[in-house]
Amino acid sequence: MSCSQSSHIVQSTCAYCGVGCGIDITVNNGKASALVGTLEHPANFGQLCVKGSNLLATTDLTNRLLEPQINNQTVDWSTATSHVANKFAQIIKEHGPDAVAFYVSGQILTEDYYLANKLMKGYIGSANIDTNSRLCMSSAVAAYKRSFGEDVVPCSYDDLDSTELLLITGSNAAWTHPVLFQRIERAKRRNPAMKVVVIDPRKTATCQIADYFLPIKPGTDAAFFNGLLNYLSANNGLNSDYIAQHTQGFEQAVLEAKKWSLAKVSAYCDIDQKTMKSVYQLFARTEKVLTFFSMGINQSNSGADKCQSIINCHLATGKIAKDGCGPFSITGQPNAMGGREVGGLSNQLASHMDIENPEHRSTVQRFWQSPTMADKAGYKAVDLFDAMDEGKIKAVWIMATNPMVSLPDGKKVARALNKCEFVVVSDCAENNDTLDFADVKLPATPWLEKNGTVTNSERRISRQTNAIAPNGQAKHDWKIIAEVATAMGFSGFDYSHASEVFREFAQLSGFENNGERVFDISAFSTITTRQYDRLKPVQWPVNHNYPEGKKRVYEDGQFSTPSGKALFFPITPRQPTQKTSAKFPFRLNSGRLRDQWHTMSRTGKASQLTAHTDKCYLYINPEDAARLNIVDDEIVNISSSVGQATVHAKLDKNQRANECFMPIHWNKQFASSANVSNLYASITDPISGQPEIKHGAIALSKTTFKQFGQLHISEDFIVQTQITNEFWTKARTSYGMSFQFANTSPETDILHWCQTTSQISGEWLQFSQESTRYVLCLQAGKLVFLCYSSATNPNIESAWLEHIFSQTSLPEQDIQSLLSGTSSEEFAKGKQICSCFNIGEKDIISAIKAGCSSVEQLGDTLKCGTNCGSCKPELSVLLNEHSINTTEIINSTFIEEIA
Amino acid sequence: MVVVGNGMVGHHFVEQLAQLNTADQAIEITVLSAEPRLAYDRVHLSAYFSGKTAADLAMADEKTYQDWAVNFQTNAKVVDIDRSNKNVVTQSGQVIAYDKLILATGSYPFVPPIPGKDREHCLVYRTIDDLDKIQASAKVSKVGVVIGGGLLGLEAANALSHLGLKTHVVEFSPQLMAVQIDAGGGRLLKEKIEALGVEVHTSKATSVIEDGETCRYKLCFSDNTVLETDLILFSAGIRPYDNLAKSFALEMGERGGIVINNHCQTSDKNVYAIGECALWNNFIFGLVAPGYDMAKVAAKHIMGEQALFTGADMSTKLKLMGVEVGSIGDAHAKTPGSITYSYQNQPTGVYKKIVVSSDKSKMLGAVLIGDTSEYDSLLQYLLNAIDLPASPEALILPLSGEKPTLDVATLPDTAIICSCHHVTKGNIISSIAQGACTVGEIKTCTKASSGCGGCSALLKSVADAEFESRAVEVKKDICESVIE
Repeated sequence: MSCSQSSHIVQSTCAYCGVGCGIDITVNNGKASALVGTLEHPANFGQLCVKGSNLLATTDLTNRLLEPQINNQTVDWSTATSHVANKFAQIIKEHGPDAVAFYVSGQILTEDYYLANKLMKGYIGSANIDTNSRLCMSSAVAAYKRSFGEDVVPCSYDDLDSTELLLITGSNAAWTHPVLFQRIERAKRRNPAMKVVVIDPRKTATCQIADYFLPIKPGTDAAFFNGLLNYLSANNGLNSDYIAQHTQGFEQAVLEAKKWSLAKVSAYCDIDQKTMKSVYQLFARTEKVLTFFSMGINQSNSGADKCQSIINCHLATGKIAKDGCGPFSITGQPNAMGGREVGGLSNQLASHMDIENPEHRSTVQRFWQSPTMADKAGYKAVDLFDAMDEGKIKAVWIMATNPMVSLPDGKKVARALNKCEFVVVSDCAENNDTLDFADVKLPATPWLEKNGTVTNSERRISRQTNAIAPNGQAKHDWKIIAEVATAMGFSGFDYSHASEVFREFAQLSGFENNGERVFDISAFSTITTRQYDRLKPVQWPVNHNYPEGKKRVYEDGQFSTPSGKALFFPITPRQPTQKTSAKFPFRLNSGRLRDQWHTMSRTGKASQLTAHTDKCYLYINPEDAARLNIVDDEIVNISSSVGQATVHAKLDKNQRANECFMPIHWNKQFASSANVSNLYASITDPISGQPEIKHGAIALSKTTFKQFGQLHISEDFIVQTQITNEFWTKARTSYGMSFQFANTSPETDILHWCQTTSQISGEWLQFSQESTRYVLCLQAGKLVFLCYSSATNPNIESAWLEHIFSQTSLPEQDIQSLLSGTSSEEFAKGKQICSCFNIGEKDIISAIKAGCSSVEQLGDTLKCGTNCGSCKPELSVLLNEHSINTTEIINSTFIEEIA
Repeated sequence: MVVVGNGMVGHHFVEQLAQLNTADQAIEITVLSAEPRLAYDRVHLSAYFSGKTAADLAMADEKTYQDWAVNFQTNAKVVDIDRSNKNVVTQSGQVIAYDKLILATGSYPFVPPIPGKDREHCLVYRTIDDLDKIQASAKVSKVGVVIGGGLLGLEAANALSHLGLKTHVVEFSPQLMAVQIDAGGGRLLKEKIEALGVEVHTSKATSVIEDGETCRYKLCFSDNTVLETDLILFSAGIRPYDNLAKSFALEMGERGGIVINNHCQTSDKNVYAIGECALWNNFIFGLVAPGYDMAKVAAKHIMGEQALFTGADMSTKLKLMGVEVGSIGDAHAKTPGSITYSYQNQPTGVYKKIVVSSDKSKMLGAVLIGDTSEYDSLLQYLLNAIDLPASPEALILPLSGEKPTLDVATLPDTAIICSCHHVTKGNIISSIAQGACTVGEIKTCTKASSGCGGCSALLKSVADAEFESRAVEVKKDICESVIE
């Protein structure tokens, strides 16, 4: 009896990307002790990627905001709630409802999102609520809505299993959506005839399964798909019946596309014409074609048009709304889709109703019985902060997002937040770059404590379940919103459980719907809390007709437009607004890394996730680097018209010439100046409002650092160690924290600097010779601190560090090794590849040289890649590079085709 | 022969010369002292405040000088030298002829040109007269400041502290004792001295001394901070007392000091300069030991013996306010390519550092704070250029097992094993030759290792090596007579 009570499994959903993997969390005596993928969850069937597998390593209480604060002073909830309510009410009274705004997130749950939207649009009476999903997939939203009449993703993950031709464009799925990527890999192995085309400026890990890789010039995707439409039209590739029966506007669209001959596209996109033609031919010939796209398409000055150019091709061939077909936008956040459903974007109302439509406004207002209703679109994310900078927005409530890191032109965002009279931030973290600006900090529950629903990229609603009770004073976002609304004097926010909010939302989706909107989950209109808690993952619509949900939509060719027909739009490709120039000659791309997530407030806590890439790199083509006299791992200055950053350079032959890539994750909590968003001017797509944050223009220059070093600190001293060097970056390690630093004016007394920086008292030992310093500190014989500094970048094997920090009493020979700057050969593992089993590059290369010739054999020998599988693309790369048989193993077909 | 100045070095010269001055050579020696008394121990001047009298500190007395047939005059400041006629004139107008003139005028405390420096309770710390003034001032003061955080400044601070004043040390540079010890050692020394109740203010430049608000005076610093005090002691370094030489066209250093050669002769072959007024190889030695060496060299040279002054090791070991401080050789690791190993035990307050050559074979320098027990052996490595053990860091790091010890066979007989009692390896060997047969007996015979005890390991090594090489029983009874 007691055994079953003390240990149970909570079924939930992963906190990270839009795949929405099910997770079974084992809870022992109120503590989450283990997790595995949910076997029966249709998003992942038990599979998890490296980030998901390590979720429990991110849930400790370090850097957790656990109590409400006003001006950094802890207060009780009622004080905080009434303060927020009063300030908002006061500013609304003085300046009108449009003087306040909410900036929310694809990481809050549908119930949270729903109430934030309800409060802003129906009670405050403004539409100034926007979300970080604006930065993620709003271009796809705009395109779907424009073309289909409703923001409906017409595909399912099952289509990845059955498709015969998969175009992956603007996505490094191998790293950003590893579980889907592995599904694609499996599909390809089950159907060797399946072809995969990767269209990306970078030769990413995703290219490992590519039959065709098209290294496209950044920002030219619309031309590629216009060219495809033209090719289809000219080569008998159209589905005239489908066009005639189910679409409108084809003629204008194809007229525009006809301007894009193969030769013109080839030149414009900088793609080999022959390869391109092969791909076009495949698209024309193959029955089941799926285009899988992500931020590379969306984050553009013309993202909606790019999406449309993809949709145009699928509509023109009728390769849509059927098995293995369609334009499939993959979202980046766990609940970006939920936000779209509730109207979390400033130009939506709720439940896929339109803010400009008076009937819709009336429907929603009557349903809510709310005192008012916003009647025009509010500011979109970038515009919202511009309005704040102009003094129009005087109070903002930011929930679960970090705009100081994620929005372009960080200087402007900082200026706007500084100007804003009242800044409220709800977050689970105590410190992040945005919280620095908060007048009020409200502790929200994080994943594991949160309770509600999310919707994944295939319209599947799943439960994100609270496995443990909230820590400290943390509250669910929906509850915080409801309490502030109530304190502002509004009725209609009286909920005692997330299920009540969900039920209301479900009712709204069916309210006066009459089949007009595909989004309809009215089957849940009477859901009980008990049923809610046992909710099985289900794809909407879920209504009277489809009580078990519905995989396929629009399969009858009846779209959500008034005419029921999908709309073509003629697309005129546009080059990026941010232009490279003599002054800023490099194109700057951005994106995610395999083992990090967003602004690292969670993934930055897990040493298992920092080992793969422990600092922010600027990836640069080796020939460009050589021209600038930049060597691998050198720290470089990056500047753009709006900002700068200073990071290590990584020479990467997978980068096209004159193009660089920088990950989106690093921020002031982890590095002195490594925020890629600061380098982007705030240019947006006029249709979607999505910022152009893949096409920056930058200049690179060498730094003048004279001294380089790294510090390693054991667990107990992380919090007290404050590093303020001109350049620094830090990463969590298994033993504590590691820092790298560089100085223009060398610290002459490194020992003293180490003592004051770490504030550790103990036995200090130092070796010094000319500019080289090795400093270590022991407490009761245990190593607690280590610093190596020199005129060049010191290098210490991480396995050696793990070894010496793990010793309870550091042996004398190890002390002497440290003081002589050496480590024994046995600790030289090289870069970590497999995060699950901590397998380094050197072991893998040795195994390959010893005869391992496949990812599976490597797994049998070293275990690498046998848990989450996220590293398998990298194992393939190593196999290609180091195999005794030097022929390409994976891409053999690719070579044949090219030949 | 005329000796101008009767400080410690001047006295040592007289002592040396008196010993060499055999009857048949009979040199007439005249000593002229500007002070009202004969030579006294300036090194232990602060003992004056802890009960020692001027007589206790005296190094020379009238009787001794009379025994040595040395003429002497106190309050006899020399104001003129006539090199062509070879005579000197004292302030009372007395003219004294010389064949050889010895300048041992020493140095005077440097008082930085701070407005207000000449106020009544602004004093220096150099002579017994200065001490009397300090004592008098202290009686009407509550707070005292020493300007200068060097070795002497800290001695002076100790003195003020003993006089019951709330004591501060103000130092221009970022650390204490910047000449002798490195920044790490300086920080620990500061901590330790502050723990004794003396407040230390580093990186402070005094711009003016004004009337105080809570105290008599107020020191105003260039960083706009202030410090109230009743008494100010300047200890901002010394300057060679070289006025005489300057006026009479002896060759001078650019920044003062009377230039001497390896025989301690000035540019006038009949005039010698020794001690802190002398500039050798463009360097002024501010310690007493090199001054003594110069005195010996000059005395021997005058007596026609071969002797050269070839510089001096500035290593020093002392106890400042109870804090052990040691500085050896290149304490600042200025030798190109040199390697430094440092060890600091914060809980126990110990700092040790050694500087070794780039190939780790030779000792170049060391700093020891809080524990100078390794001083003597480290110094031996330096002075005798002994090869270091394979991992020289083991000399100071708290590694378990046997610490590497010096190969004593490589030490010359002149190597000083116990610096407290100036016991050489030769002394130890002869004590064994004379019958000492245990380390304990050697200690009793020679006093070696009976001071700070830091040399006990070294002493044992030297003794064991000697016992082994002799491999003979040594009679005990002879030792007893040596003790006598």
